[in-house]
Amino acid sequence: MAGTALLDARDLKKYFPLKRGLRRERKHVRAVDGVSFTLGHRETLGIVGESGCGKSTTAKLIMRLIEPTAGQVWFDGVDLTTMSRRRFRPYRKRMQILFQDPYASLNPRMKAGAIVGEPLRNFGVPASESAARVEQLFDRIGLHRDAMRKYAHEFSGGQQQRLGIARALALEPEMIVCDEPVSALDVSIQAQIINLLIDLQKDLGISYIFVAHDLAVVQHISDRVAVMYLGRLVETGDGDRLFAQPLHPYTRALLSAVPKTFSTVESRRIVLKGDVPSPVSPPPGCHFHPRCPEAMQRCRRQSPDLREVGEGHRVACWLHAA
Amino acid sequence: MDALTSSAARDAIVEINDLKVWFASRDGIVRAVDGISFDLLRGETLGIVGESGCGKSVTAMTMLQLIPSPPSVIAGGAIRYNGADLLTFDEERLRAIRGNEISMIFQDPMTSLNPVLTVGEQIAEPAVLHRRLDKHAARELAVEMLQKVGIPEPRRRADEYPHQFSGGMRQRAMIAAALACHPKVLIADEPTTALDVTIQAQILELMLNLKREYGTSIIMITHDLGVVAETCARVVVMYAGRKVEEAAAAELFSTPLHPYTQGLLSATPRLETAPGTRRADRPRLQEIPGMVPTLKGEAIGCSFAPRCYKATAICREYAPRLEDRGNGHVVSCFNCGSA
Repeated sequence: MAGTALLDARDLKKYFPLKRGLRRERKHVRAVDGVSFTLGHRETLGIVGESGCGKSTTAKLIMRLIEPTAGQVWFDGVDLTTMSRRRFRPYRKRMQILFQDPYASLNPRMKAGAIVGEPLRNFGVPASESAARVEQLFDRIGLHRDAMRKYAHEFSGGQQQRLGIARALALEPEMIVCDEPVSALDVSIQAQIINLLIDLQKDLGISYIFVAHDLAVVQHISDRVAVMYLGRLVETGDGDRLFAQPLHPYTRALLSAVPKTFSTVESRRIVLKGDVPSPVSPPPGCHFHPRCPEAMQRCRRQSPDLREVGEGHRVACWLHAA
Repeated sequence: MDALTSSAARDAIVEINDLKVWFASRDGIVRAVDGISFDLLRGETLGIVGESGCGKSVTAMTMLQLIPSPPSVIAGGAIRYNGADLLTFDEERLRAIRGNEISMIFQDPMTSLNPVLTVGEQIAEPAVLHRRLDKHAARELAVEMLQKVGIPEPRRRADEYPHQFSGGMRQRAMIAAALACHPKVLIADEPTTALDVTIQAQILELMLNLKREYGTSIIMITHDLGVVAETCARVVVMYAGRKVEEAAAAELFSTPLHPYTQGLLSATPRLETAPGTRRADRPRLQEIPGMVPTLKGEAIGCSFAPRCYKATAICREYAPRLEDRGNGHVVSCFNCGSA
């Protein structure tokens, strides 16, 4: 797998320092606490988890928008994390990011055409060439060419996200990291954007990291899914199989908590007690043990590693340790 | 559900009749709610669903007249609570109702709790106002309510401030405040939208338990069809300020009639947990083309017509009337068959 992977994240960690108190001890928010995964060519990896689990921080680490505290991000066989900014620049072209709030990520003083063309300008594509490319991109994402002269605020939320997609596509990236790209949209619009992303993958062979909290959306779009809890991956595997046979108690609770519109399968709800603990002082052992209905002595002391339990299905839980 | 069949036999606690709420804006009148009618039956949970801007929150806020006027104008209709039209009430009579007989919880618990008052003071506030509880009784009530909504160490927590609570706990505190006076009607405006699914499950369970205990009638406003399916007996679907369909929840999900309702259901990805399902076999999500119309000016024809795959010439000229297709399944559409 490692040889063919487009992206290979190895033991990524990001600790954000908190302000120092009166005493000298320094506390950290352990946003991402040792996360490893790979992404294949033309593949979509969904990362799910609840607020504060570190999924967005992971997205930013992959893009090197923030520097990791430890760990590496390998892209196409090269370690990006130790690279100088200058040497990293060509890789920027090959990986792009899409944000949750499309409006906040579009410059309000630029016209739509200029926004989509900006990456091309930044990478020295001649103006003549870039104008044609921008027109092409507008066609591709389903916006009228006349819209190039409008400002971001003149578009609806769905159209703004389309602009974000066009801009991400401008440099023909091999990978797009999508950080909650449809969570702010109404369902009818959400479907349009999801379909567009799927079509683009088919036509252009892009790989996606798709970060979201909506399990149904993630399942719909992803080949493989990684479930995160409090800075760590608790379970990964083929999306459909993982959702049909979740092994980690957290994944099970998460799935059972999703309201079913038509319940295809009658399942008993596992209602978790309490809230997610603070990532400043995560519980010892398995991070999930204080809320876990099946916690054992061992879980309180020792943190389980992700272990392979079946074809590509990996789980970090003492219940499933060999 | 036989209760749905004849409106005379219904025991409605709230009846909304042809309510119109308009807003004055720079470029004309915005018809946010454009003639909506529905009943809330005693002890029932009624869902109101729709996408942003469909008027569901404006309807809810208008019930307690919480929207400042101007810019809003109630252009017509009636909101009857136990037979009396709330729209004719003066401020004093409304205050006797708000938080006492009809309560509301909002989407964002942080912005609806006062940051400089303790959680306990806020929970007891309605009871202090309406029932003139003294300080001691108020505090006891707050502690009791916190315990009811499942907050650990309620005695200590009652003296804390909202920022010391997590999102889920704030929502619990808000529910505690809303239920402190045992209201007859609870309006829940996207009560779980800001919460994670595991916390959402806790809150929905809590609301249903409390409803059972107090016999509260609930209006559940949400954009999430899953939440509706979980909690509601009956559902009103709104689009562009109007009701387009209403039915018993099970029926709405199994046989939606209005093209918009159908579109909403097939645009929503569904979580498949049955073994053996494969992603490759899953259908493409159905898109509803275009976007929600601006509600400026008078709407001619069916407001969904520009996005509707079934639309014909008549839809663009006349607004369809709501028709009962049996079993209280009501729909406003020229082109959808009977149930």
